[in-house]
Amino acid sequence: MAATFFGEVVKAPCRAGTEDQEEEEEGRRETAEDREVRRQLARKREVRLFRRQTKTSLDVSLLEKYPCSKFIIAIGNNAVAFLSSFVMNSGVWEEVGCAKLWNEWCRTTDTTHLSPAEAFCVFYHLKSSPSVLLCQCSCYVAEDQQYQWLEKVFGSCARKNMQVTLLTCRHVTDYKTSESISSLHSPFLKALKTQNFKEPPCCSLLEQPNIVHDLPAAVLSYCQVWKIPAVLYLCYTDVMKLDLITVEAFKPILSSRSLKGLVKNIPQSTEILKKLMTTNEIQSNIYT
Amino acid sequence: MASRYDRAITVFSPDGHLFQVEYAQEAVKKGSTAVGIRGTDIVVLGVEKKSVAKLQDERTVRKICALDDHVCMAFAGLTADARVVINRSRVECQSYKLTVEDPVTVEYITRFIATLKQKYTQSNGRRPFGISALIVGFDDDGIPRLYQTDPSGTYHAWKANAIGRSAKTVREFLEKNYTEDAIANDSEAIKLAIRALLEVVQSGGKNIELAIIRRNQPLKMFSAKEIELQVTEIEKEKEEAEKKKSKKTT
Repeated sequence: MAATFFGEVVKAPCRAGTEDQEEEEEGRRETAEDREVRRQLARKREVRLFRRQTKTSLDVSLLEKYPCSKFIIAIGNNAVAFLSSFVMNSGVWEEVGCAKLWNEWCRTTDTTHLSPAEAFCVFYHLKSSPSVLLCQCSCYVAEDQQYQWLEKVFGSCARKNMQVTLLTCRHVTDYKTSESISSLHSPFLKALKTQNFKEPPCCSLLEQPNIVHDLPAAVLSYCQVWKIPAVLYLCYTDVMKLDLITVEAFKPILSSRSLKGLVKNIPQSTEILKKLMTTNEIQSNIYT
Repeated sequence: MASRYDRAITVFSPDGHLFQVEYAQEAVKKGSTAVGIRGTDIVVLGVEKKSVAKLQDERTVRKICALDDHVCMAFAGLTADARVVINRSRVECQSYKLTVEDPVTVEYITRFIATLKQKYTQSNGRRPFGISALIVGFDDDGIPRLYQTDPSGTYHAWKANAIGRSAKTVREFLEKNYTEDAIANDSEAIKLAIRALLEVVQSGGKNIELAIIRRNQPLKMFSAKEIELQVTEIEKEKEEAEKKKSKKTT
């Protein structure tokens, strides 16, 4: 027993480990209420995949229903804006699914007209070539939800003949280098690939000790385990919100094999990107 | 280990950094680009205009402000901090004029702004001003001046400089292109400023604002039309230069 500063008497933990064990266990035992709260929280944090048009949820994983040879995933608003302007405007894409999730950082939106500044996770396939799948994910997927997301999208069996390309951004202050930060010309692109990805990437590889975080890391790890060729293009930028210069930093990827056939009119795409920026620019007057 | 020494402005880190001042310099980089050029008989300030919301009155979103009839400045960084600095400088200009019966010199008002900024790097409970400023003007002796201040409170005279978002790119351009020929006359100096901004401004002339001061003349703000004219001329010159180059190679 010990007394705290406030005069309350508390049980001091016993180093011997054997005394008072039963009493401690009683305290730790879950009540029905605890279990109910835990169940409700788990239900709230569930990642649901469904078709927005029919409002029906998918009973199998997305890739099982729509097998693909090329899967391009944009995570974060700048990566999403890049794919919207350069890839999605060069063909007819049909929505095949949408992920709905909630966590402390974001809640996916239900609106029909999605702008890269909002939180959503939508999957499309190219009408003219349905084996090309695209994912626009501008919401934050929490650590406990990443596994669910992977299960619902990739499923739990190996996918053959598929290549995955990921695009995402990270703040340049997370980039570890022995050079001085002022000599870095951000935004800049770095690549990280799985063992089975044999093509040369469009930029230099990410050096140690830098690591990838969140959903892109989960997807890359999944691809490495299941021997799927995958490459992540990570843009280090000093502006994390929707920004023209950051989005344009992804341009070298347009020459990669996975995107080459999908991008048609680059000058037009640049115009579309500029329009997207002006309509979505958060009118912050803090900086002039 | 910055996290232990970056919360209080009055705390030095063991290797001599004042992190809050350095972070304030990062805030400056969030503002759009401003460029200043000191010509022979002219000083030019060019800025990248921030895109304005549909319902916003464009006239109230200004990066170039007159401090007195013969001095003006452009800033990059926190808008509200700039407003405070500009107001204080304007009052100081008039106060000086009433006391000494002479208009301020460009160096004086720059030193005033720099001293004000430095005070805020050495006070408890305050934070540095998150702006850099380019101050231009003519003194009574008729010599054109261009000064730059930053959040630490330092100020230096420059022949040409840039602040804000892509300042590094613009400065490199100026280092290559600021020659005696480039500032030989007023229109060349204006063109140099616009060319420097076009290196980094996304949508061309309509996102540029320009102001000039000529010797013994008040501040002149260029209209959108005048800027477009300059941009068209620059593009023409570029085309002609490229044609000449391709002729030479064939």
